[in-house]
Amino acid sequence: MSTEVNDKKEKSAAHGKCMMTRRSFLMSSGAATAVSTVGVSLFPGAANAAKSMAEVVGYSRKKIAKLSDLKDNQPFDFNYPDGVRNNQCMIVKMGGAQAGGGVGKQKDIVAFSYLCTHQGGPLQGSYKVAGDQRVMGQCPFHLSTFDLRRHGIIVSGQAYESLPQVLIEIDGDNLYAVGMLGLVFGRSTNLKS
Amino acid sequence: MSTNYYLPEDNAPLPPKHAEVLTTACDYCIVACGYKVYRWPLGSGNGGEKASENAFGIDFPSAPLQDWVAPAQHNVVMHGGVPHNIVITPDKDTTVVNTNGDSSMRGGLIAQKCYNPKTPTRDRLTTPMVRIFGTLQPVPWDFALDIAAAVGNHVIENHGANAYSVKTYSYQYVENTYAITKYARRHINTASFTFHDTPSDVTSTPGFRDAGFDNFGPSYDDWGSAETLLVCGTDPYETKTILFTQHIMPAIQRGQKVIMLNPRETAGVAYAKKHGGLHLQIFPGSDNLVVGAIARVIMENGWEDSEWIEKWVNNNWESSSGFGQGTRNTPWQWRTTWGKFQTKGYEDYKKWVMAQNEYDPVYAAEKAGIAVEDIYKAAEMMAKPVNGRRPKTSIGIEKGFYWSNNTGNTEAIASLATLCGAGGRPGQVVGRFGGHQRGGTSGGGYPRNKSPEKVPGRRRRALDTDRWMVSGHTRFAHVIGTTWIQSMCGSQGLEKTFHELVVANPHQVRDYDKQAIIDTLKKRADSGGMVVINQDIYLRDPIGARFADIVFPAATWGEEDFVRANGERRLRLYSKFYDAPGDSKPDWWIIAQLAKRMGFDGFDWKNSNEVCEESSRFSRGNRKAYHMIKVAAHKEGKTLHEKLRELGTDGIQGPTFYNSETGELSGTKRLHDTTLTQADLEKIGLADGAEGANMVNKKMTHFNSQTGKVNINKHPWNLFSDFWEWLSPKEDELWFSSGRINEIWQSGFDDVERRPYVTQRWPENWVEIHPDDAAKRGIESGDQVMMYSDRVARHKNTILGVKGDDFQFSSLMKNGHIELTKAAVTAVAIVTPGVKKGMMYANMIDMRQPSNALQAAVVDWISGNYNYKMGVARVKKLGESKYKTEFRSMSFAPRNIV
Repeated sequence: MSTEVNDKKEKSAAHGKCMMTRRSFLMSSGAATAVSTVGVSLFPGAANAAKSMAEVVGYSRKKIAKLSDLKDNQPFDFNYPDGVRNNQCMIVKMGGAQAGGGVGKQKDIVAFSYLCTHQGGPLQGSYKVAGDQRVMGQCPFHLSTFDLRRHGIIVSGQAYESLPQVLIEIDGDNLYAVGMLGLVFGRSTNLKS
Repeated sequence: MSTNYYLPEDNAPLPPKHAEVLTTACDYCIVACGYKVYRWPLGSGNGGEKASENAFGIDFPSAPLQDWVAPAQHNVVMHGGVPHNIVITPDKDTTVVNTNGDSSMRGGLIAQKCYNPKTPTRDRLTTPMVRIFGTLQPVPWDFALDIAAAVGNHVIENHGANAYSVKTYSYQYVENTYAITKYARRHINTASFTFHDTPSDVTSTPGFRDAGFDNFGPSYDDWGSAETLLVCGTDPYETKTILFTQHIMPAIQRGQKVIMLNPRETAGVAYAKKHGGLHLQIFPGSDNLVVGAIARVIMENGWEDSEWIEKWVNNNWESSSGFGQGTRNTPWQWRTTWGKFQTKGYEDYKKWVMAQNEYDPVYAAEKAGIAVEDIYKAAEMMAKPVNGRRPKTSIGIEKGFYWSNNTGNTEAIASLATLCGAGGRPGQVVGRFGGHQRGGTSGGGYPRNKSPEKVPGRRRRALDTDRWMVSGHTRFAHVIGTTWIQSMCGSQGLEKTFHELVVANPHQVRDYDKQAIIDTLKKRADSGGMVVINQDIYLRDPIGARFADIVFPAATWGEEDFVRANGERRLRLYSKFYDAPGDSKPDWWIIAQLAKRMGFDGFDWKNSNEVCEESSRFSRGNRKAYHMIKVAAHKEGKTLHEKLRELGTDGIQGPTFYNSETGELSGTKRLHDTTLTQADLEKIGLADGAEGANMVNKKMTHFNSQTGKVNINKHPWNLFSDFWEWLSPKEDELWFSSGRINEIWQSGFDDVERRPYVTQRWPENWVEIHPDDAAKRGIESGDQVMMYSDRVARHKNTILGVKGDDFQFSSLMKNGHIELTKAAVTAVAIVTPGVKKGMMYANMIDMRQPSNALQAAVVDWISGNYNYKMGVARVKKLGESKYKTEFRSMSFAPRNIV
């Protein structure tokens, strides 16, 4: 069902700046910019093998859907962050249910990876409405469920990372994927050098 | 991570080809999944994405179910004083337990457990401390140990050994538990000794003990090969996760029918129901009625397993009138007066059940709040033959069940198991699913004869350390790896007593001189107060932070080589792979230093293997007997730890046996294995019985009873019903129960506050309320609520039982031994139809607001265990929490979505 709307990549300094804004907004606190993977500063003299966090500068800006095409609570599939592997994602307008990182007038449009962050189980077809809650799951492999109103955090289950959330921007009627929060299952980095 | 906020990262290092690989198992739940630790020096180069460039030998991005490194699975630790990367991932090569490398969220995040001052683990205890001028101040080991030993000896000499109370974990590796019990029970010889989850050192499942069932007889394969599985008091997906996903869930997909008996619908229950299972969603404490009613329906229809009963159930001669020393020497007689439990065999049991009005399915269903048809349906699923063939039925229980009506429920379920033919055959088993891993080896017997606690009938019972302390007899509290207070019932009352005995006592250390400190603490003990020493990995509040006079920092998982078994008795070596933080030391070492200073001999171990090798002979005959691993190891010129290391994550199931002819070491798939043949025994070197140091006892091929056959016992409701009726919600009260959840199961002691990912999911204490109950009280998800009660029953005296019913709740109440106290706990409300209407379900322990504060501090009067799941409370809205309106953390989505 995956539909490639527009695979055109737009990389620019302006885009990078825009990304920072988006990321800060998503994490709500403004404290989200500096995340280091290892405590190298604790060990003076040790060589620094840690990669710096490069996620805010390298993601492609990709048109993934049209606002006017989205129907309430019907996920729309796309591929991101690249065309390699482990890139199945969905975007959904959650029928007015506001969400962390949600865009649109009702802040109810979110996008997530389809790969369960436990063991890579396919979450396609598992989007559910439960009252005012919106989840993906149970994963067919080991039954993990994720909360789409709260940045994809685990509701119940096994996964060790939140479901990676795709950062979305609206430009007129166009929806763009511009980055990701969290590592997609199976990857060692979201960004191919 | 530098904060407690979860900030998802989008890359993680792959271990390189040159990474060292060590095996271990998860530190947390009973299932103990196998893990690999990849370790390589910082700066030596990470692995690449090609199979030839990384330690997994696979190409990245990897495919579903293949190896993957989540960012949280990487950490940086010190190894030999040099910073190293570590990656800890489930072992994809293991053939058992977490087959193919499955893992829970707790284990999946275990790399974050390791001490790294850059992370929220930075508050690990790294140095001994003594409270001087009101502040815990770092001191050298000698200074702290000298004080503890001097005061400890003084208390024993002047107030008796029972004034020295030891409260310890039962599970944190055989080396430590052996050292602790050798110290406390053999040398100090105190009756004021117990484990983390019970006020007195008593069996957790008296009914299994009486019937002859080992708690952990079954193998994980057995749960999978059952055709009908009755699960009581737990959802094994929530707790025992990988046992569910790797053994029960595939069985459900093959057609296994699961019946769940508990008050709450969670993910595993919902999954089972979707696949033809049944949920008996009962009120807390009504289990005994439902189990009794199911037994009655089975017998009324003649669906019982007559062949099994004929062959394996004790008759009148065997159970009551004459065998050996007779019934006087059976465990139930040590717990209560005669005649309450034993029967003259099956027919007598049947007669008894039929005569109990409360096992009428209509009555039972009404009290339990379920449909009566479901009792009939459960009986059918468990025992009705189809085309002349009985279903293979197994029964697994856990704390929701055995901590509700401890004796009554476990006696009842043991008898129901026997009716269904569950006991000792593949797919037809009965046991506990388990909580903590099994890491206990006894270095000394419990001195029961020194316990002043006596139940009616002149029988002594292990001392209730809570009541003993509240009564003012404890002068020295030695607390090891447990909070004592929050983990016991009526916790707020217990905390008050600690405060009075420790902090409010006038003798507080206000001096710099070691001898003066010792003298002050001695005076505190002599004046009726209490001195507290605490060994742990973090400073706990209040036991360490507010009450401890001396704190010893402990080294733990990954910081020392340790041995432990899981819920199918599988023994593994938990490898040391990094340096323990600061001056912290393993508990066996701390105990040894203290013991030597107190003048005890036999504590001269140089390393954990030496402790393990000394302890092994005390494991002989028990369910995880590992002595023969040592025998095999020494034959091969290895140490016990080295031999076990070779067995990796697959390990070996105890009891272990050594065939001196073939040199082969063997394990045991299941206990009570009635299907073992002579050929099987020959293979493991037991053709002519035990040879060499091998030890074979009844439970290998028979049951743990006086005859080796099963006792089918009565399970009277009226031992508990007066308490249940008294407790039942009045006016606007609701049942108040508590329990575990998947994401922090058996790991809350160090992950809920220290893994940003876990903290964002469960940032605060919470309580589930049914939508109808919530609406009546104007409560919505995300509201901050107060749960409170002014009738938390607390048994306040250490008394002697004389008459038969002296310890029955109504008698205790009548005779003035129960005080009613107040308690209050706040939480964030989660309104969900998953929890039964009429009850609340809260987190079992949030250190800040322990649910146990609201639970009655009255033990099951036959066994001595607390019934932790039994409480009532009112609830009211205080206001709104921030989680109601923000969208970052604490999900309110229901857990039973399928």
